[in-house]
Amino acid sequence: MQFIQILAFGLLLGGVYALLASGVTLIFGVLDVVNVAQGAFLVFSALFTWQIWDLFGFEPLLLIPLNGLLMGLLGWAIYRGMLVRVAPQGPGMTVLLMFGIALILEGILNLWFGNKFKSVTPSYYLSSFNFGDIVLPMPQLISGILAFITLGLIYAYLRFSWAGRALRASAQNKEGAALVGISQRSAASLAFAIGAATAGVGGVLLAIMYPIFPATQYDWISRLLGIVVLGGFGSIPGAITGAMILGVTEAFANTYLPQWSSLFFYGAILLILLFRPQGLMGTKTREDVVA
Amino acid sequence: MKLASGRSGRKNRLGAVVASLAVAGLVLSACSSGGDEAATEETTAAETAATEEAASGEGPIRIGISLPLTGDFSQPGGAAKKGYEVWQTLTNQAGGMLGRDVELVILDDASSQEQVVTDYNRLINEEKVDLLLGTFSSLLNYPASAVAENNKYVLIAPAGGSPKIFEQNFKYYFFAQQAVGPDQGNEMVKYVESLPEAERPKTAAFVTQDDPFAAPVIEAMQAKMEALGVKTVYSEIYPPETVNFQPIANAIAQAKPDFVAQGAVFEDGVNLIKSMVQLGFSPNMMFQTSAPSNGLQFSDAIGIANTEGIFYAVSWTEKADTPGNAEFVAEYQKQFGADLIPEEDAADAYAAAQVLQAAVEATGGLDNTVIQEWLHANGVTTILGDLSWDEIGRPQGEFLLAQWQNGEVEIVKPDAVATSTTVINPKPAWQ
Amino acid sequence: MIEKLKKPSAFVPLALLAVVAVIPFVLPDSQYEEAILITCFLFVIMASGWNLISGLAGYVSLGHSVYLGIGMYTGAILGKLWGVDAMWLMPLGALMAALVAMVIGFIVLRTRSHAFVIITIAVLLSFQLLAANLKPLTGGADGIVVPPPSWAFELGNTPYYYIFFVLMLLTIALSAFVMNSRLGAGLVAIRNDEGKAASIGINTTLYKVTAYTLSAIPFGAAGAVYGQYLSFVNPLGAFAILTSVYLVLAALIGGRATLWGPVIGGFIVAIANEVSTVVAGGVSARVLIMGLVLVLTVMFMPAGLLPTISNRIKRNKESKSAVKFIDQAAIAKQNDDVQIDNIIARSKSASSYAGPILEVKGIVKRFGGVTAVNNVDLTVERGSITGLIGPNGSGKTTLFNCMTGTFRPDSGQVLLDGVDITGDQVWTRAHEGLGRTFQITRLFKSMTVLDNLVAPLEKTSARQMVAGRYSGDEVDRAREVLDFMGLGQFEKQNAAALSFGQQKLVELAQILMLRPSIILLDEPASGINPTLIGKLASVIKRLNDAGTTVLIVEHNIPLVLSLCDTVHVLAAGEILLSGTPDEVRNDPQVIEAYLGPDHLLEADNV
Repeated sequence: MQFIQILAFGLLLGGVYALLASGVTLIFGVLDVVNVAQGAFLVFSALFTWQIWDLFGFEPLLLIPLNGLLMGLLGWAIYRGMLVRVAPQGPGMTVLLMFGIALILEGILNLWFGNKFKSVTPSYYLSSFNFGDIVLPMPQLISGILAFITLGLIYAYLRFSWAGRALRASAQNKEGAALVGISQRSAASLAFAIGAATAGVGGVLLAIMYPIFPATQYDWISRLLGIVVLGGFGSIPGAITGAMILGVTEAFANTYLPQWSSLFFYGAILLILLFRPQGLMGTKTREDVVA
Repeated sequence: MKLASGRSGRKNRLGAVVASLAVAGLVLSACSSGGDEAATEETTAAETAATEEAASGEGPIRIGISLPLTGDFSQPGGAAKKGYEVWQTLTNQAGGMLGRDVELVILDDASSQEQVVTDYNRLINEEKVDLLLGTFSSLLNYPASAVAENNKYVLIAPAGGSPKIFEQNFKYYFFAQQAVGPDQGNEMVKYVESLPEAERPKTAAFVTQDDPFAAPVIEAMQAKMEALGVKTVYSEIYPPETVNFQPIANAIAQAKPDFVAQGAVFEDGVNLIKSMVQLGFSPNMMFQTSAPSNGLQFSDAIGIANTEGIFYAVSWTEKADTPGNAEFVAEYQKQFGADLIPEEDAADAYAAAQVLQAAVEATGGLDNTVIQEWLHANGVTTILGDLSWDEIGRPQGEFLLAQWQNGEVEIVKPDAVATSTTVINPKPAWQ
Repeated sequence: MIEKLKKPSAFVPLALLAVVAVIPFVLPDSQYEEAILITCFLFVIMASGWNLISGLAGYVSLGHSVYLGIGMYTGAILGKLWGVDAMWLMPLGALMAALVAMVIGFIVLRTRSHAFVIITIAVLLSFQLLAANLKPLTGGADGIVVPPPSWAFELGNTPYYYIFFVLMLLTIALSAFVMNSRLGAGLVAIRNDEGKAASIGINTTLYKVTAYTLSAIPFGAAGAVYGQYLSFVNPLGAFAILTSVYLVLAALIGGRATLWGPVIGGFIVAIANEVSTVVAGGVSARVLIMGLVLVLTVMFMPAGLLPTISNRIKRNKESKSAVKFIDQAAIAKQNDDVQIDNIIARSKSASSYAGPILEVKGIVKRFGGVTAVNNVDLTVERGSITGLIGPNGSGKTTLFNCMTGTFRPDSGQVLLDGVDITGDQVWTRAHEGLGRTFQITRLFKSMTVLDNLVAPLEKTSARQMVAGRYSGDEVDRAREVLDFMGLGQFEKQNAAALSFGQQKLVELAQILMLRPSIILLDEPASGINPTLIGKLASVIKRLNDAGTTVLIVEHNIPLVLSLCDTVHVLAAGEILLSGTPDEVRNDPQVIEAYLGPDHLLEADNV
């Protein structure tokens, strides 16, 4: 029973991780950019949620579409305004650019919200849903479900809309996609917008679960990278799998070995990149073995 | 090319260094030369005037402080800044120190150790401040104390009670709270000891963030509780970046302890309590280190009803009947908002400044060595109560035991300073 | 590089350093300036160290401050244990950092680009976690208090000032030395094109691990002292990701892969940091400012200050003088008098093995479900010119890549002089006498033709790595090879300025520097004009006359049939036929498989 309880904690948390990591992996798949600013996007959206909730007091979950849209626009603008310019410089430079953007966002949040933890506390924030002996905390349950709904919507969009198919084509084969008339730039803008929008949605979910603080963005960098690396860079099913594995691992680690719980994220990064660089779900492409 | 002329001690030296190096860079790139002379002379009249006054012993007494206004410790750093500023306002209203106004020179160290070194060096050698006050968190007070000691400046720190800091045996460093880290849970242990055998908790869970302030409190408390015969059924340390507390709360709930003690900085304390509420596990006694001292931030985060009966160790509350406390709270609310309760960190900073003020006024001058000798020999009354120090700046008092009661914070132990005569035990179930 | 040091512009930074050296004497009460400059020195040390692996070799590390942390802990732990000042522990700090870097580098440098960046962050954070949890050794999150130094109180931080200053000079000297060595040239080659670097005999793994290890040494030495300077070492401070980002920013602003760029950048970042504290302190704006600087640098000055400025100066100069016209026809003036035999002959004239020089046995290579090469046997006779032809998709390029080591076959063997080289690295094959060219030339475009020719390495040795870039007889040999190819006049041109055909000849010349016993040419005639094809054919013939075996993969059937002694025809991953040009020309199977029925071979018309 304890096993199922801990597993449940892990899976609910894994759902939120999955949403955020999908954004990172989508951006990577289409753009070859490691978005280390995803944590900053996330905290930005969460604090924005707090601000609106604090001012008007209405249900924070209603902000999900708005935050998704706003962060999507921000992502789109960052791509069009900055990344396009830097992308030809290679992966090292784009990582640095995204790191710079993360620092700027953190700075803005510092100025805007000051240095206090902000808590969003809607009516259900302390309640839980009991399923036999299994306790599912309400904020986590809601977040997990909404994360999966969002993931489902993104998946449907990528699968069934023309733009989504174009985007997937572009992720798989840039030259080929260009040949059949898909603009790499449009696909990349769209990917970046969707990727940032997942942080917009995730930020709302984060806000109803935990107190938030600008500097917490750093904790998310290694967490998300661990998941994405484990799942395989560029693979959305991989990101979801990786998120579930690490969510569950973290829950068990926190139960039995909390002191070392972070090590699983770093450990996943180190081991996977060394021994199976394509990740669990990524496919190995034909490339030079000289390295 | 000279970087700055020898007589330019009073000038804005940073400006000179920057300008010279910038010019040098231009020389390097364009292979042109000249023009630096004008740059080194650049300094505003106001700055010159200010530093001249200070040097000549007139004008305001300048006190240098570096605080973590950004980065990991920006929350306590920001609170401490408010405390220092309230002290400055009240002191100047009352005619200043030694008949001179006080002026605070506050720099941001971004929670970085290397920056703290630069900052205090700047304050001492460039700003030529008369006195120093400490920064926040032991992590930053370590390097700060070394700079102060090297320059023979007294450093009175509002935080930084980690036992390690006193291993240096510095003479100029004073910790301006009642007790060092491992002793901060003493009143909690004494209270448990005072209970009749049958009412004492039988089992206890100890969990703490891996943090230099929280962990020593909990580790020391665990040893003392075990000595009282309380059985430890859970004992774990979690890393600072932990956000997911449900598994930890669940593991504690499985162990069914009567008493839960958490070394909680802030959000970890909130997250653990929220998780315990959601899991429906309510211990008979609940103790945390700093988290519950955050006033509204704490009660807003876990719900005011759930605060009932939570114990914590604290150096101060807004209700404390200490001399000057009411004035401090009133002025704080005047400056920062009528409905705000000052943070404990703000009060600690205020008290540190009070200690400095008392020493300056008692010695009648700004000689840091004299001040240091005086502080080792004398106690000071502050809004935290009476403070005194041993030969290496360790405070000699006891921390307070506070408890949330009816949505307010009350001091329950020691009896002499208690604001409430009742102690809620056992803690009511979560709401 | 050497020339650069002799230019007067090199004296400007040296003069500046001299000024900095005397500051504590000319400036009274200079504790504050010293504190700022110590931070400057530290950033220069770190940025210059980082530059060795990330600037020169192009492997961007975002976690390099891990070695500062390792140095800090080494200094703190041993300093406390032995009761000595941290300055005496600098060598141990450096040694510790180097050892850790060597182990980590060996593992981590197998990954590339994104993976490398991420893994460096993960390594940094892992060490932070280790330091926080290995309590008996590190004191855990509480950290370690380092006792103050034993020198007189009145000296303040001035001794630290000179320690860091000297350390900075040593670091600059180290990077100058590396940049002027063959190691540095090899690293630049790796940054430009790692696969190509391996193919000309550069042991890329060794070079990268060496550079990575060297880059950690300044960090480790500085860290040992830095811990005592701060008087306190803890996991968060010692292994801070922001330190890593700022030091990268320093190298970036100044200019990566330059000697003085990280120096200037280090000063700029440390001072900008201080200025933003003094000017914007209390407004919580520092993170914002540093973020802005980072973003603006990456966007508008990615090459860094020094290269940007020098490019501008160069452009101004160039716009004044007319653009140099490269005479295409000049290539024809080949110098037939050059005696190439001595220049390109292998010293231990091949081996005593009498069999075929190159043998391929039962090679199978699959990609996913597709079998590109299926159980192919093939021999290249010593002293022959052998052709390998086949229609598109027949697997000839895959087979070629299995021979050169670019691909590992799923099964089968490749024998060179009777020795199994299937598992050998690309550079080892180059050392053993197997040279190759590429279908699309892969010269180092930013380098001159001469530098391209000096880059190949005939063997791997420590002595060679530390040797000067232009030491030995390589330059003379390179000039002779260029003369032989008729390319002598282009030696100072950038490779990118040559025509595609000329680049192909340069690439062949580059391979000759390896004294190959067999040269594998990957479609040498594709994309170049007929004049140059003729020229190429005559060069190949002359090389062959001098004893070099040649294997050509080619689409240009007339060229193959006219040059080769033996031709192998590959179709659908298998050998269809091996024979003389005449046999191939007249084989109906070949005609059908290769050209379709009814087709008349072009060669008949030649």
